[in-house]
Amino acid sequence: MNRLLFSFLFFLIGIGLSSQAAAETWYVKKSSTKLQAEAKARSKVLGKLNKGTPVDILEKSGKFFKVSAGGETGWIFRFKLTKKAPSGSGGDGDVLGALGGQQQIAARESAYGSSIRGLSPVSEEHAIKKGVSPASIESVKEMERYKVDDDALDKFLEEGRLGAYAD
Amino acid sequence: MKTKTSFFILFLLGLLAWALPSYSFNFGDVLKEVEKSSRPPEKSPPKEEPEPAKPQAQQPQQNGGGGLIGLGDSLGIFDKKTSKILQQSVNTLKALQPIGYEEEKAIGGRLAVEVFNRYGGAYEDPELLRYVNLVGQAVAEVSNRPDIDYHFAILNTEYPNAFATPGGYVFVSIGLLKMIENEAQLAGVLAHEVAHITRKHALQTLERSRSLQGVSSLTLTVMDKDPGLFDKLIDEVSNTLFTKGLDKNLEFEADKYGREFAYRTGYYPGALKKFIQRLGASKKNSGSIFNSTHPTSRERYNLLNKSSSRYKKASLYPTLGKRFQVAIKR
Repeated sequence: MNRLLFSFLFFLIGIGLSSQAAAETWYVKKSSTKLQAEAKARSKVLGKLNKGTPVDILEKSGKFFKVSAGGETGWIFRFKLTKKAPSGSGGDGDVLGALGGQQQIAARESAYGSSIRGLSPVSEEHAIKKGVSPASIESVKEMERYKVDDDALDKFLEEGRLGAYAD
Repeated sequence: MKTKTSFFILFLLGLLAWALPSYSFNFGDVLKEVEKSSRPPEKSPPKEEPEPAKPQAQQPQQNGGGGLIGLGDSLGIFDKKTSKILQQSVNTLKALQPIGYEEEKAIGGRLAVEVFNRYGGAYEDPELLRYVNLVGQAVAEVSNRPDIDYHFAILNTEYPNAFATPGGYVFVSIGLLKMIENEAQLAGVLAHEVAHITRKHALQTLERSRSLQGVSSLTLTVMDKDPGLFDKLIDEVSNTLFTKGLDKNLEFEADKYGREFAYRTGYYPGALKKFIQRLGASKKNSGSIFNSTHPTSRERYNLLNKSSSRYKKASLYPTLGKRFQVAIKR
């Protein structure tokens, strides 16, 4: 009788734990997101993940999530992840996609991403036609050319103890 | 022996009662909490109902029983009334096709030229520009749309103002920078502008625009072929951004998202609210178009204040006043 009761209790505990531990899937928000060895901004970078990569959440520690992605396990700064699946893979996206709408737009946005550079010729021609000063056009081009590289941003965050470097 | 066994069973039951909720704390509530942080701070304000689409030549199906709905109608799956309602919904969705990124960037780029043209041009201070870009990039990286390029510039005008144009262009005037007290406030201001871009506020205005009814698709090819259409687009958004201002609710939404993005970056989340209060009290603000294009500071402050309790231990987050003072050199 006792043996039966014990088995039943262990069974219940097992069910409880396994259902709670079932990993939840989140997604990487931006390409080149770092997967790190520890829940620390300065820890070793194991690899970089692409935008939209699904990751299984295994654990949370401070501002980091321990995740499993494509057979690799590591830590990611939590605000680099989103619970929302990439556009076009569910919800309203599918409804609109079926009608030939949002899904295509989302795919285009994802494909271009940061590859669209410079002031569009349509915009420049329009500005010239409207008699806007060349200096204003040049200022936009300069604004677009200005880049903050990843290392400089990382150093800035570290010095201010911000982002993944926050306590 | 029996007592020992009963005690052990009770212990196990106790363990079970403790283990389940505590485990769900680790993997349930914690995730919910983070999800809450990753989500907008509050439910977005209700969006206006889109204008019904007018009949268009490009949409041959809209008056007939085309597509699956028409098929359902002819097979008797839907009655006439249901078919009509469904058809109208499809037409409305078609007429409101979201604007793609390439087109968004073309519109935003043209408006960015307009911003420089109207508001004093670029302010020349490479070090300050670098600093503004670093703070701006930091908040954009944790926004809900970090996968596009953001560009930040300083305008050479003493009037306090900040702008965002679609596609990732953000502007802050030197006048506004001089009013800011610390880096957390700057982050809040820039994040508010980034939020206008992530939420595509200006584009929403366009998609609902009466003057663009009858246009189902805004592609660069269409814009290129019809310069009048691009004219209309630019006039419409210019009028919204530089004269009328965005809908009040969109400004409130940008405040809430802006505060959230600054908080995610690690800044004191009360800083934007504090700056809005400061801006409201300033006489410098009276001549700025900021007044005519934004809700009152009191309204904005009160709304942020109402939802500020969700940021626990907010006072522990840094404002980085010293770093800001060095950057602005005062």
